Amino acid sequence: MVRYFTRLRMRRIYKWGGRPYIFDRKLKSYGFEYLNMSVEGQEAVTTVTPGQYILIEGNDDEYPFVAKLLKFFGDESHKQKKALVQWFLRLSEVPQNKKLLLGRSPHPQEIFYYLGRACDNEINAESILAQCPGCGIIKIYCYPLFLHNFDAETPQWALEVKVESCVPRNMTRQTALLNTRPLNPEASCTNVSGGNTVQLTNKVSPARHKKSLEHEKPSKAPPSQNLPNPDDAGPGSNSGLEKELRNSVCFPCFLIQVTPSTPRHATPSIPSRTVPARQPGNILEEARARLHVSSVPESLPCREQEFQDIYNFVESKVMDGTGGCMYISGVPGTGKTATIHEVIRCLQHASDMDEIPTFRFIEINGMKMTDPHQAYVQILQKLTDQKVTADHAAALLEKRFSNPAPKKETTVLLVDELDLLWTRKQNVMYNLFDWPTRRHARLVVLTIANTMDLPERIMINRVASRLGLTRMSFQPYSFKQLQQIITSRLNKVKAFEEDALQLVSRKVAALSGDARRCLDICRRATEICEHSTSHPSSAGLVRMNHVMEALDEMFSSSYITAIRCASLQEQLFLRAVIAEFRRLGLEEATFQQVFVQHRALSRVEGLQPISVSEGLAVCQRLGACRLLLLEASRLDMLQRVRLNVSQDDVLYALKAVRD
Amino acid sequence: MSKRKVKETHMPVGECISQYGYIFQVQMILRERFCHQRLPEKPVGMESQHKHLLELLRRTAVHGESNSVLIVGPRGSGKTMLLNCVLRELLEVKDVNKNVLPVHLNGLLQTDDRIALKEITRQLNLENVVGDKVFGSFAENLAFLLEALKKGDRSSSRPVLFILDEFDLFAHHKNQTLLYNLLDVSQSAQAPVAVIGLTCRLDVLELLEKRVKSRFSHRQIHLLSSLSFIQYLDNVRSQLSLPQDFPDTNFYDEWNDGIKTLCEDQSVVDVLQRHYNSSKDFRSLHLLLMLALSRVSASKPAIKPTDLLEASRVCMVDSKANILHGLSILELCLIIAMKHLNDIYEGEPFNFQMVHNEFKKFLQRKSHSIHNFDKPVVIKAFEHLQQLELIKSMDSSTAKIQKEYQLMKLLLDHSQIMEALQKYPQCPTDVKQWAMSAFG
Repeated sequence: MVRYFTRLRMRRIYKWGGRPYIFDRKLKSYGFEYLNMSVEGQEAVTTVTPGQYILIEGNDDEYPFVAKLLKFFGDESHKQKKALVQWFLRLSEVPQNKKLLLGRSPHPQEIFYYLGRACDNEINAESILAQCPGCGIIKIYCYPLFLHNFDAETPQWALEVKVESCVPRNMTRQTALLNTRPLNPEASCTNVSGGNTVQLTNKVSPARHKKSLEHEKPSKAPPSQNLPNPDDAGPGSNSGLEKELRNSVCFPCFLIQVTPSTPRHATPSIPSRTVPARQPGNILEEARARLHVSSVPESLPCREQEFQDIYNFVESKVMDGTGGCMYISGVPGTGKTATIHEVIRCLQHASDMDEIPTFRFIEINGMKMTDPHQAYVQILQKLTDQKVTADHAAALLEKRFSNPAPKKETTVLLVDELDLLWTRKQNVMYNLFDWPTRRHARLVVLTIANTMDLPERIMINRVASRLGLTRMSFQPYSFKQLQQIITSRLNKVKAFEEDALQLVSRKVAALSGDARRCLDICRRATEICEHSTSHPSSAGLVRMNHVMEALDEMFSSSYITAIRCASLQEQLFLRAVIAEFRRLGLEEATFQQVFVQHRALSRVEGLQPISVSEGLAVCQRLGACRLLLLEASRLDMLQRVRLNVSQDDVLYALKAVRD
Repeated sequence: MSKRKVKETHMPVGECISQYGYIFQVQMILRERFCHQRLPEKPVGMESQHKHLLELLRRTAVHGESNSVLIVGPRGSGKTMLLNCVLRELLEVKDVNKNVLPVHLNGLLQTDDRIALKEITRQLNLENVVGDKVFGSFAENLAFLLEALKKGDRSSSRPVLFILDEFDLFAHHKNQTLLYNLLDVSQSAQAPVAVIGLTCRLDVLELLEKRVKSRFSHRQIHLLSSLSFIQYLDNVRSQLSLPQDFPDTNFYDEWNDGIKTLCEDQSVVDVLQRHYNSSKDFRSLHLLLMLALSRVSASKPAIKPTDLLEASRVCMVDSKANILHGLSILELCLIIAMKHLNDIYEGEPFNFQMVHNEFKKFLQRKSHSIHNFDKPVVIKAFEHLQQLELIKSMDSSTAKIQKEYQLMKLLLDHSQIMEALQKYPQCPTDVKQWAMSAFG
C-alpha cells in the first residue's frame, strides 16, 4: 500500500527533563518531572509538565484530542516515553444525547471532563503535540458526563479564565508546536487567583465577558464546597474525582478555537415542493401507504430470532470493546438490511439510556459505489468527514484501526452487498475482515450478501478465515410469516379480506418468499379494487378477484399475448420457423431456410408473398421483442434464427387465433 | 417552382393562390402529424393502460408515493406516445405543474452510468449548487446524487420522474448500479421518485439482476395492439382528415369527402390490408401516407388511389433487387454463375476461381453476345460485388488466403435474382436463358 502524506511531516524530538525518580520498582519504571519537545532543525524548545493541558495527536490533524497531563514515566533505557492523562472532551466530541442532557446550548469552546471506562489513560508521550493554546475568555463546565448519575441541573463547578496567548485556528502539528508559549502553571495560577478572574458562576463578576454571560446558567451548587483552592493544586495529584476537579480549576485551560466554518462538502437536495403532499384520504389509500415497502413498520415480525442473535452479537462486542465479523446471507427481500437497522436502532436507544457504551454506526453498500476501492473512501468520509483518494483513505484507515488511540469508541460497520467488493486480489475484503482482529480496532463488521456459501465460493482462504464462522442465513418467508407481515403493517386498517391475504402470501411464498413482492402485489390489488368501482370512496374490501387480477398481471408471461397480437406476417413467420425446425430436426435455422418455408406457407394461406427485405424486417421485429433470438443483422440472409419461446407456446397461441 | 406550375394551369389567379394556400396548410398539418409525431388528443386503443399510468404518476406527484413501472411493447406500438400523453395531462393539473421534476434518459444516449449520472445531475439543475465540485469523478457524482436523493423525504421534496427510454440497455451497464440505486430509492423512505422504463423486449425482467429485480415493483404495462383491420382503416381516415378548425369549410368538406371515398376504394383497401398484414404499427403507416401526401400539389389537390399504390410500391420494394438493376452485365453474369454453384453444391461456399470457371464455361458453350474478359477485369467485378455486400467472405482471417481462393457466400435469394433479371434493361437473351437453365 502506498502511503501518501499531504503535509510535510516534521520530526519532533522528545527529551526527558529533570531528575528521574523511581515510579514502580517492580516494573522498573521511572517518573520524570517534565518533557522537552523540539522540532528538528529549530531552536525553540517547549516544555510540558504534569498538570498542564495538552493536545494529543488524534485521528485527524485539525482536531487533536485535549487532555490534562498527570504524570510522565518511562523505562530505564529512556526509550519508551509514557504519560498518564485525564481526558477532556471538546464539544464536537460530546455525543448528541449528552449535549441534550446539558439543557442549554454550550459555548463552542467548552470542554468536558471525561470519565469513561472505555478509554485508556496511558498514552505514548511522543503523541503529545503541544500545550493547549487558547484565546480570549473561555468558560469550562466540568460535568462528569459519563457518570450514570449525571445531573444537568447542578454542574459540579464552572470557571472562567482569562488567557493571553492567541493561536490561529486550524491547528496543525507545526503551528501548534511553534506558536505556543510555554506557560508556567504556577504563574498562571497566581495570576488567576491574584487577578480575581476565577469566579464561581453564581458570583457575577463585572469583568465578565458578554459572550460567556449568554451561555451561562446559574448554578445551584453550593459555592463553598467547590471553591477552588490554588494552594492545593500540584502536579501528580490524581486521587479521586473531587480532587481532580479542584485541580482542574486551578490551571488555566485552553481550547482550540473552533469557529464554525462553511461546510466544505455541502450537498444539495431535491428542491422542495410548493404544495405539500396530500395525505391518504380513504381506507384503501391509507392501506396502500402502509403497504409501501418504504414505510417503516412499528416492528419487524417474524425475524425475532435473527434479531436477537444479531443484537446479542453486536451488544457483546460493544460492551467488551472488542471487534468481530458476522456474515449474513439470504435471498433478496427477506429483511436482512431491515433487521440490522432495527438492531442498530435498539442499540442506539440503549446507549442513549446509558446501558451500553456509545458506538458509531456506519453503512456502506457495494452497489452504491462505483469501484470496490471506493469503500475505503466512503468509510473514512463517514468516520471523519474527510474526502481523500482511495489509496490515501486505505492508509488512513489502516493507521486508525491499528494504532492504539485514546477515547476510541466502537464502530459498527454494515457492509451491504458484499459480493460486489470482490477484487482480483481481494484486498478490500481482506482489510475489512482484518481490521476487526486488530487489538485496538474496536470494529464490528456486519456483512450482507445473497449467497449462503459466498465465503467458500469467491473468497481466498486468508479472507474467508478472517471472516470467521459467525454466519447467519435468513430463510425465505413462509406464507404464514408473509401473512403476519402484511397484517402487522396494515395494523387494524381493514382493507383486505382474510382469504385474499392468504392467497397473496401463499402465492409469493411458493415462488420466492420475497416480502417486497408480496407488498407490491397487495398494493396493486388495492388499486384494482379502487378502479373497479365507479367512485373511489365507495370501494369496499379488497377481494379475491382483485388479488387474482394483480397476481395475473405480475406473474403471467406476456409472450402468448404478444404472439396473438402480432401481425399476420409475423405469425406466419413464426409458423415458418417451427416448420423449418421440424424439417431440419434442429432448433436452429438460417433466415434463408425459414424464408423458403414462409413463402410456401403464404401461398397456402392465399397471401401475396412478401419480398426478402420485408421478410427481414418482419424477422427483425420479432427479434426486437425477443420472441426470436437472432444473430447480428450484418449477416443478412445467413443469420441464424432461434425461438425464445417454446414451440408449444407458439402453436398454442397461434391455434387460439385461428379458432 | 410549384407557383410556376400553378400559372401553367389556366385558373383564375385569386382562386389558385387561395388553393395554393390551402394545399400548403394541408401539407403542414398532415406533415406535422406524420413526421413530428404530434401527440394525439387521446391515445387510441389503450384506454386502460393510459388510466393505469396516469393514476400511478398522479399518486407520485400528489401523494409523494414512490413507484416503478415498465411499459413494454413492440416498436411503434406507442409507448413514448402514451407516456408523453400522460405527462402532458399530468402537467396540466395545477398542483402538479410546479411539483414534479421529469428526468429523461435514453439507453442509446446514456451508454454508461457515468454519462447517465451527469445527465441526471444536469436535468435536476443540481450542478451549480455547490460550485464546480459536482462534475468530479464518477464515484463523487454517484455519492453526490444519492445523498441529494436521500436528503429528501416523502412529504416535502418534489417527486422526480425518471424516464428511462430503451430500458433494456441500462441493464447492460456494469453491475446495474444506476438501476439498483434508482429502484432502491423508490423502495425506501427517501425523496419520492417514479422510475418509468420503456422497452420493446418482452424478456426485460430476465435481464435484471436478482437484487435489482427484487426492488422493482413488477408493474408492467403491456402495449400490444389488438387492432382489427376496420379500426386500422378508421385510423387511416382520421389521420388523413383535416381538423375541425380548418379555415375554409368548402375545402375542408371537399378534402374530407375525398379521403372518405379514397378509403372505400377497393385497390386502396387492398394496399392497406397488405400493410396491415405486414405490421400494425403506425410508424410504417405514416411513412406510406407521407409518400402519398408528397404527391399532392395545387394542380392535383387530392390524394388519389394511384398515389397510394405508388407509395406502397416504393415502400415494399426489395432493396437488393434494386441494387441488381444497377450492375453491369459482367457482374450480373458472375451472380448467375454463383447461383448455379449454389444449386450444384447445395449452398456450400465458393471461391472466385470456381465462379470464374463457371463463367468461362458459359462463355465457351452458350454465349453469343458476350466477349471474353481478362481475368483482372473479372476480379475487379467480383470485388465490386463484395463491396456491395451481395457476397460475403466466410473466413475471418482474410490476410492469409489469396484473393481468388477466399470462400464466399451469396447473400441473394434465387427469386431476387430472377426478378432482377426480368426487369433488367436490355438483358441479353442468352444470359437470361443461362440463368433459367437448371444447371450451368
